[in-house]
Amino acid sequence: MELAASDPSILARRAEIVARLKALVPDGVVSDRAGLKAFDGDALTAYRQSPLVCVLPRTKEEVAAVLKFAGEDGVPIVPRGAGTSLSGGALPRGDAILIGLSRMNRIIHVDIENRAVTVEPGVTNLAITRAVEGRGFYYAPDPSSQIACTIGGNIAENSGGLHCLKYGLTTNNLLSATLVTITGETVRLDNRGGYDLLGVIAGSEGLLGVVVEATVRILPLPPVTRTLMAAFASVPDAGRCVAEIIAGGIVPAAMEFMDRRCIEAVEAYCAPGYPKGAEGVLIIDADGIKSEVDEAIARIAGIARGCGAQVREATDEAERARIWTGRKSAFPAMGRLAPDMLCMDGTIPRRMLPRVLARMAEMADEYGLGFCNVFHAGDGNLHPLIIFDVMKEGELERAEAFGADILRLCVEVGGVLTGEHGVGVEKRDLMPEMFSEADLAQQQRLKCAFDAAGLLNPGKVFPTLSACVEQGHMHVKSGRVPYPNLPRF
Amino acid sequence: MIVESEAEIVDAVRMARERRTALEIVGGGTRRAFGRPVECDAILDVSRLSGIVSYEPEELILTVKPGTPLVEIETLLSANGQRLGFDPQDWSALLGSTGTSTIGGAVSCSADGPAAIRHGRARDHLLGIRAVNGFGEAFKAGGRVVKNVTGFDLPKLVCGAMGTLCVLTELTFRVFPKPPETRCFALRNLVPSRGPGLLKRVWSSPLDATGLAYLPPEAAEHFAQIADCGYGAALVRIEGTAASLAEKSAMLRDIVPDGEPLDTGADPFRRIGSGEIFAGSLLDITRMVLEPAKPSPYDGYEPPLKEEDWSLWIADWAGQLIWRANTAGSSSGRAPVFDSGTTLVRASVETRMRSHVFPPEEPARAALTCAVKAAFDPLGLFNPGRMYKDV
Repeated sequence: MELAASDPSILARRAEIVARLKALVPDGVVSDRAGLKAFDGDALTAYRQSPLVCVLPRTKEEVAAVLKFAGEDGVPIVPRGAGTSLSGGALPRGDAILIGLSRMNRIIHVDIENRAVTVEPGVTNLAITRAVEGRGFYYAPDPSSQIACTIGGNIAENSGGLHCLKYGLTTNNLLSATLVTITGETVRLDNRGGYDLLGVIAGSEGLLGVVVEATVRILPLPPVTRTLMAAFASVPDAGRCVAEIIAGGIVPAAMEFMDRRCIEAVEAYCAPGYPKGAEGVLIIDADGIKSEVDEAIARIAGIARGCGAQVREATDEAERARIWTGRKSAFPAMGRLAPDMLCMDGTIPRRMLPRVLARMAEMADEYGLGFCNVFHAGDGNLHPLIIFDVMKEGELERAEAFGADILRLCVEVGGVLTGEHGVGVEKRDLMPEMFSEADLAQQQRLKCAFDAAGLLNPGKVFPTLSACVEQGHMHVKSGRVPYPNLPRF
Repeated sequence: MIVESEAEIVDAVRMARERRTALEIVGGGTRRAFGRPVECDAILDVSRLSGIVSYEPEELILTVKPGTPLVEIETLLSANGQRLGFDPQDWSALLGSTGTSTIGGAVSCSADGPAAIRHGRARDHLLGIRAVNGFGEAFKAGGRVVKNVTGFDLPKLVCGAMGTLCVLTELTFRVFPKPPETRCFALRNLVPSRGPGLLKRVWSSPLDATGLAYLPPEAAEHFAQIADCGYGAALVRIEGTAASLAEKSAMLRDIVPDGEPLDTGADPFRRIGSGEIFAGSLLDITRMVLEPAKPSPYDGYEPPLKEEDWSLWIADWAGQLIWRANTAGSSSGRAPVFDSGTTLVRASVETRMRSHVFPPEEPARAALTCAVKAAFDPLGLFNPGRMYKDV
């Protein structure tokens, strides 16, 4: 993909724009080349571009002033949390202000009785759990990057995680949000009557406004959690096991799949003790009260054995933690093995798992590329990692074509392009694979209702007429991964 | 106009566009008395757009047409040991309507029931839609899988939108396994200042209660099994297998040390979610969702038993949803007792004409509401004025 060309009329006004921002946020403007280098992209590493200028407000009033200025002066603006987006949601533009919310990182109010925590957008996902776990609660959505990613970014991307099968995505755990619009107005949104505007803000990828405060639901910590590992001699058997567990009316707290190549990579990386020689492994958590967990674990183990698995249960909390650390390390572990990697994020109906897994293996042969499978099996959210070497003639193109074919396959079997990473710039041009012109037009009209001039995060989510055909993937180029050790998906 | 397919709706809307005809969208017609009165030139009857499009029990996914009766969906799911998590309610008794309550109406009114405290509201379960917008274009949004962030989450917008944005033609839900057994308990002799607080303690425990309601004595009188509840009763519904119900019952006794929970036998929550105990009241009925993160307004507050503003009320969703029959509030022009979040569920046409029915919006939000309406239905063809004056 070509990065959008910068608007020369905005570049020509750069000095004036920097001066205006310095007046609005005196201690929070980054405009020197070296300083801007730190903000030149997110975790979609194939694309880097220095922003026009970066502003780091500390208060919602400063955010409102910056947006009002941008709106009135017609300057594009790109919101950014921690910059961990895998789809380029926070990718800067040379002609746009980058507004970073990381300094707005206060926990405003913990309301245990109402199970609600009110935070500023720069608070990290994990910090919410840290603030309430001593009182027996936690915040359920847990994207693997939770030590770094912020709640503002989670809302923009409607982040998921390992436990969303049972506990929902960000949107299902969001109670209210305060949004600053491109006109600089501050609007409080909750779901107590009128249109559910809060519902469309979640997952809107920064195209509708900037969240400056949010109230999220916390959950009581489950009294019992048990973890099973089921090792399979064939990948389709594991897929069948997943489908049978869901069909059996069991809702595990988490159900994760890794294939042989991924298991080996993780073993080499952090030695969590996964079964040797298996073609695939399912890691399954059941949580809740003792009688329910015991019953679920017994039934899951029975189903897994019926599908030919060898089943083992984590014996203590340390082993549980090790098993999950291994799973969350899949991405950095794979990153050490291959010079380059593409990561996909489609979701499919769970019963299609055996068919899709088998078809992806055939495709890998056709394309002559290695790949591994790691995914949130419980909700059918696939994260195939395609391995290649950009230095070898044509491999990048083949890998991208393979990736696009995987996403087309997901849509073909009734699934979607992205389950949790977002569309961003990465899958933008694949949107017509899933949506008709009328479908996209309706979404774009909603965008216009919030931001008629198209100043908020331009170039994201919606394909433009002039864009060249792009593939849906995350590209890790020659090991140049930001936060290479950050757990992923 | 009676339509039977999406194509016919497209034709009907295009004709309405040309003639500038405002359409009242009607399914089973049981909720027409909810919302601001609309003045429409024609009725678009979508009740024949009915039936199950696809149901995959093993996938926990259900796709239906909007005119499908709630009863039909419930029967089908129940036969497969499943149900809709948001517990959609039939408000016919409350609204004094006849006809058949449909899924399209329940979603459009976000008629979420007591179990929503555990599983979430309609917006949390509607994964995808097909619909016809005010441009006369059929479109889809969302998907048919549980985890999806592809494009804007338009299905959320149609929940509770009172049919003012588009004409739904297909709805896809995630469904939930239905636990094999249910038990309901009453904790009696709880004054209103203590009841909701106790419910919140239960809600913060791992019981996963699918019903948490408080009834003052006047409301409890409507339930034979708890009529004699002293100063009021907190109701708790738990579900699971026999073994888990035994464990949960014991946990409940630990949370509520004083007074043995009374097993109510029959499930009282059906009649709580439907609002039917208010059916005989001559007063206006409101439903108020409290602020998500504010100390409960019950704290330190004990309504007098014969207080004029509080002739009959109940608190559902662990005290976060208040139903009440009120002499004050929007109909009389007096300020509501609590805060915003109030919806006038039942009142005369005259009252609904001159008062707010949905929570009044601050100017910046009202501007967004109007812009969103225009993004779907710029000519104001669908249920004009049903939510707000221009929406």
